[in-house]
Amino acid sequence: MTIYGLWIINKAGGLVYQRNFAEGLAQLSSNEYLVLAGTLHGIHAITSRISPIGPSSGAQVIEGENFKLTILLTATGTKLVLLTSLPDASAQLILQKTYEAYADAVMKNPFHTPEMPIRSEGFDTRITDLIGTGQTS
Amino acid sequence: MTIFSLYIYDRHCNCVYYQDWHRTKRLKPAVEGGGILPAVSRAVTPAPSTGPDGNGSTAASNYSSPRNTLSSSTGVVVAMNEMNLQPGATTTPPAQPSMNQPGLPFDEEAKLVYGVVLSLRNMVKKLAGREEQFVNYKTSTYKLHLFETISGYKLVMLSDPDANPMQSVLRQIYAGPFIEYVVRNPLSTMDSRTHGIDNEYFRASIDRYLRGLPVFP
Repeated sequence: MTIYGLWIINKAGGLVYQRNFAEGLAQLSSNEYLVLAGTLHGIHAITSRISPIGPSSGAQVIEGENFKLTILLTATGTKLVLLTSLPDASAQLILQKTYEAYADAVMKNPFHTPEMPIRSEGFDTRITDLIGTGQTS
Repeated sequence: MTIFSLYIYDRHCNCVYYQDWHRTKRLKPAVEGGGILPAVSRAVTPAPSTGPDGNGSTAASNYSSPRNTLSSSTGVVVAMNEMNLQPGATTTPPAQPSMNQPGLPFDEEAKLVYGVVLSLRNMVKKLAGREEQFVNYKTSTYKLHLFETISGYKLVMLSDPDANPMQSVLRQIYAGPFIEYVVRNPLSTMDSRTHGIDNEYFRASIDRYLRGLPVFP
């Protein structure tokens, strides 16, 4: 499995954290990532509306031919998105752990402004410990 | 395991065909002027204001093509399908939204589905290069599969969230019923922007194929 990247999208659809880990996907500018995060935020809202059988969550896993996006929607509306290769069973688990790290290193940080881009060395270190800098195996 | 619905869109972004099987959220027919073409599905065309007589005459005036004959006979078959599908609701005409919480009108739903599919397709292409195709996404209650043909037709299927990839099934619908009863049908107007591709044989053939699949309960 390969982990390509991690995004954190705030409840308004803004990208507050974005980090690449492995090569394999296109290299985009930070502006393009912002646009994609906004698009994903919108799509996520629509996917819960078009359910054929009653109330539904938004999209949880989006698959392409060679990679997938796994989305964790937290209770506060923040979305954690993990971009991985297809045969990856641990994406959900990694997202849960990322959320823990987010709660510890970002939300408990008195210098962090909520809904603003995350600039925290502590969080970066936690993520590096969790995912690595370029994990391939 | 189950299959909920099938949408087909042409390259002009129009919904040209719709069929459903096990959706519990009742389908609300499209509103008048909502942009849904005739001959997409009998169940979703805006309800004509008059009775069966007026119904027939509006249909006759709307469909100027010889496909008219096909369409008018379509009604019988569709009604039969409905009967098989919803044993409790046989007497409910499909044009009447009722029962458990009707959702969006069909024209809006079709546009939302197309919007999601197109946005995701562009997003996936942007992330992983032009060759990458969007395949499916999953929520807690359903899974949406996309198969796009070279000619720009998009086949979208909604199934159970745990269903296996449906790419081969959609390809089979394209290679079988679609080629046989739409492409090779001289009365079917493809790419017309004014008509859907619904006809009795196409509908029956898809129905037969999907009912034979192991994923279909």
